[in-house]
Amino acid sequence: MDLHLDRISHRYGRVEVLSDISLTIPQGRIVCIVGPSGCGKSTLLRMIGGLERPDQGAVLQQGEVPGDCLNPLTFVFQDFALLPWRTVAGNVALVLEDHALPRAQRERIVADVLARTKLTDFRDALPKQLSGGMKQRVAIARALAVNPAVMLMDEPLSALDAQTRELLMDDLVALWTRAPFTAVYVTHNLAEAVRLGHRIVVLSRRPGRIREVVSIDTPLAERRAGDPALEAHQARLWQLMRDEAEAADMELSHV
Amino acid sequence: MSDLPLSGQPPQRDDARPVPFRGGGFKPVRVRYLGAAVIVALILLVEWGTRTGVISNLTLPRPSDVLGTFHDLWVTGMLWEHLIPSVTRLAVGSALGVSTGIAVGVMIGLFSLARAGLVPLVAAIFPIPKIALLPLFVIWFGIDEGSKYALIALGTFTPTVVSTYGAVDNVDRTLIRMGQSFGLGWWSIVRKIVLPGALPGILSGLRIGLSIGIILLVAAEMLGARHGIGAYILEAGSLYDLERLFAGVVILSALGVLTSGVIGWAERRLLSWRI
Amino acid sequence: MSTFSRRGAIGLLGGAAALPMLGRPALANTKLNIGALNFTSHAASFIAFERGYFAEEGFDVEFKFFQAAQPMAVAIASGDADYAVTAISGGLISLAEKGAVKVIGGSLSEEKGVDGQKILASDAAYQAGLTSAAMLDGKKFGITQAGSSFHYMGAKIAAAEGATMEFVPLQKVGSVIGALKTGQIDAWTIVPHIAKPLAAGPEVHIIGDVADYLPDYQVTTIFTSASNASGERAKTEAVLRALSKGADDFNAALIDKTTSEAEMEEMVKLIHKYVNADQPYDKARGSIVNGAMRLNAGAALNTTSVKDQLDWFIAEGLVKDSITMEMLVDPSFVQTM
Ligand SMILES: Nc1ncnc2c1ncn2[C@@H]1O[C@H](COP(=O)(O)OP(=O)(O)OP(=O)(O)O)[C@@H](O)[C@H]1O
Ligand SMILES: [Mg+2]
Repeated sequence: MDLHLDRISHRYGRVEVLSDISLTIPQGRIVCIVGPSGCGKSTLLRMIGGLERPDQGAVLQQGEVPGDCLNPLTFVFQDFALLPWRTVAGNVALVLEDHALPRAQRERIVADVLARTKLTDFRDALPKQLSGGMKQRVAIARALAVNPAVMLMDEPLSALDAQTRELLMDDLVALWTRAPFTAVYVTHNLAEAVRLGHRIVVLSRRPGRIREVVSIDTPLAERRAGDPALEAHQARLWQLMRDEAEAADMELSHV
Repeated sequence: MSDLPLSGQPPQRDDARPVPFRGGGFKPVRVRYLGAAVIVALILLVEWGTRTGVISNLTLPRPSDVLGTFHDLWVTGMLWEHLIPSVTRLAVGSALGVSTGIAVGVMIGLFSLARAGLVPLVAAIFPIPKIALLPLFVIWFGIDEGSKYALIALGTFTPTVVSTYGAVDNVDRTLIRMGQSFGLGWWSIVRKIVLPGALPGILSGLRIGLSIGIILLVAAEMLGARHGIGAYILEAGSLYDLERLFAGVVILSALGVLTSGVIGWAERRLLSWRI
Repeated sequence: MSTFSRRGAIGLLGGAAALPMLGRPALANTKLNIGALNFTSHAASFIAFERGYFAEEGFDVEFKFFQAAQPMAVAIASGDADYAVTAISGGLISLAEKGAVKVIGGSLSEEKGVDGQKILASDAAYQAGLTSAAMLDGKKFGITQAGSSFHYMGAKIAAAEGATMEFVPLQKVGSVIGALKTGQIDAWTIVPHIAKPLAAGPEVHIIGDVADYLPDYQVTTIFTSASNASGERAKTEAVLRALSKGADDFNAALIDKTTSEAEMEEMVKLIHKYVNADQPYDKARGSIVNGAMRLNAGAALNTTSVKDQLDWFIAEGLVKDSITMEMLVDPSFVQTM
């Protein structure tokens, strides 16, 4: 299933947040969105996920949703959003409970996604017993459990330390390589963007418009830290971002 | 300081001295048995005072006589005669008040209409001294158990409502968004996210509610009760029988400690997921 | 306990009345707190104050008003009141046992031929057949508190009729009235100045007289702290003298009716300042006049009745059985019967 954003504009009261955003998210690809703080990335993601309505324009789905997909548009949140009173397995099971699935199948799905995220040994642990990285893996497992058509990830790694982030990026790449998923991945971290994105969308400062879309053709599995091609992309992105961020900064100081 | 070695031996200069420690205090340390010791010391002091006559028998009863009164209550079976009606009133009244309080509190927390309609009403009921309504309740619910249940129910209802909707308001919104983003049904979100998330607040509201229930027990037993701890205390007061008065008060305190303990136990059981 | 001073307005009157004093008071300007209820049965205190009998004895009196009899005994024990008039209650006896208070004289008593306390029935119970005290078996009888005079009266009436009643404690006279009017309780006894206006309405009926069961019942007594009784003899005698004069005026105007019509009217007006003051005079007048009961002349005390009351309290287990008449009563001040 592809997603099309068709000329999306949005304002909160008098503040224009997004302006005329048109974008295609092709099936099986990871689209990263970067942009200065406050430019409307999270807002755009909520619109893609149907948690908010744009003032103008529309988000369109195109193509069939796979038959075994329980929740086509699935979020992974920055702060994990795990229920603290449920175990790891319970948190994953939560999103299956409202679907009429045979008990055995439900248990099989839970076991499967926990295995894929290397959490099998922690299935009965409570969130308070887990490290940040493990919590985010639980959240990813939960997202995988509903077999989403598109994963909507809002800075999923930004609450984690640098080492954990590296490990989780490797995990995501491994997951994608095994079974390519579609994702919109919002981040501030350009290293993450060049590592995970097939396409990288740079938004301007508020009101967010598309400044540029960068495509990176190197297969995910072959991307390495220190790869000169990636470094070049990252430097170019940084240049774009830097101009916007500086301008945004100046604007704020004039308020 | 740059000429000092970065590691190894402490400096050989003779003006070296330890950094003064300033981080003490402001940190509750658990001291066992001190609370009990204070109470025991106070009781012994009163015992000594009443025996020597420093404390007149009009001022305080002799603790050993209070103990004797307990013994009598136990032997004659009157303890249960008074305790069972009171505990029943407390249980029925607060069960009514707490369950409707939680239901109304959750409604206020979830529905804007309920919030707009009921919050002012609850705010208006809260500060009413419920004792003032007792004669009215006698007419509405009868002088027997009905009015007593109603009084305790009303007394526990308001704090439960307020703490429940506060707790629902405080449930982490991102958890609710998460539930919606996974397509959970409304009822699922309420049952699996809102209610468990509000439970800590509801339980601490329950503590206050039940304490108010115990306070109101005495008020509830003012009208028409011949048995019950409250009636026992009131009778002892009117007969100026200090031993029985204190025995009754001690039973009420014990009831308070007991309910607080039960809630504490429930909190440990149900809220073990808290950090 | 409500404490308020009427000295602001009324004290002036009292002071004016006290001006033409004859003789020299033995106790010049002694401050005195008198405990009272806003009942006709406390009229002797009000008259002694208004007509300057306390002032003649050199007292500067302030009233402390209460809602029920039992707290008055506590106020005497705590020293908040010096002298008070009230019914004998379990609380009073317990405090006497602790050596805190002493009964020193009599005040209100039942007397054959004078309309006394009434037995009341709620309308519901009345319609269901409770038309005389003989039918009290199995009924709910209102009392303020266990060990109150209502409890004593009810128990005595029940014993005489061979009835078993359930005594319902309601703390305050007002609550008992409410419960009786709404049929929550079946029966009650109360002084006539309250009983008669109640029975004038449709909710309550008079079904008998307390005097038929307790002919010479010493309803209220005068009491003080044990230290006043033993150590302040002159002062205590002076208080009793002033109260006796008040009682004599009261009996003359409202019981024996030996005064002129105008004097009686004046007496009722005086009492109305304290009793049913919230009602217009015309309305209150009837209940004051109809509700008058004899106050013991010379504060004489019916010790036979007091003994009977004490025995009942002991038998009911409401007070310790170690208490004796000597602990409760100091009979050296007044004539006893
Ligand atoms: N519900 C809302 N009501 C009003 N204003 C909002 C709301 N949500 C977001 N905004 C405003 O819209 C703008 C864009 O917010 P958004 O969270 O989408 O930015 P962002 O690009 O995700 O920023 P960041 O990088 O800091 O996460 C901000 O100025 C924000 O203050
Ligand atoms: Mg954001």
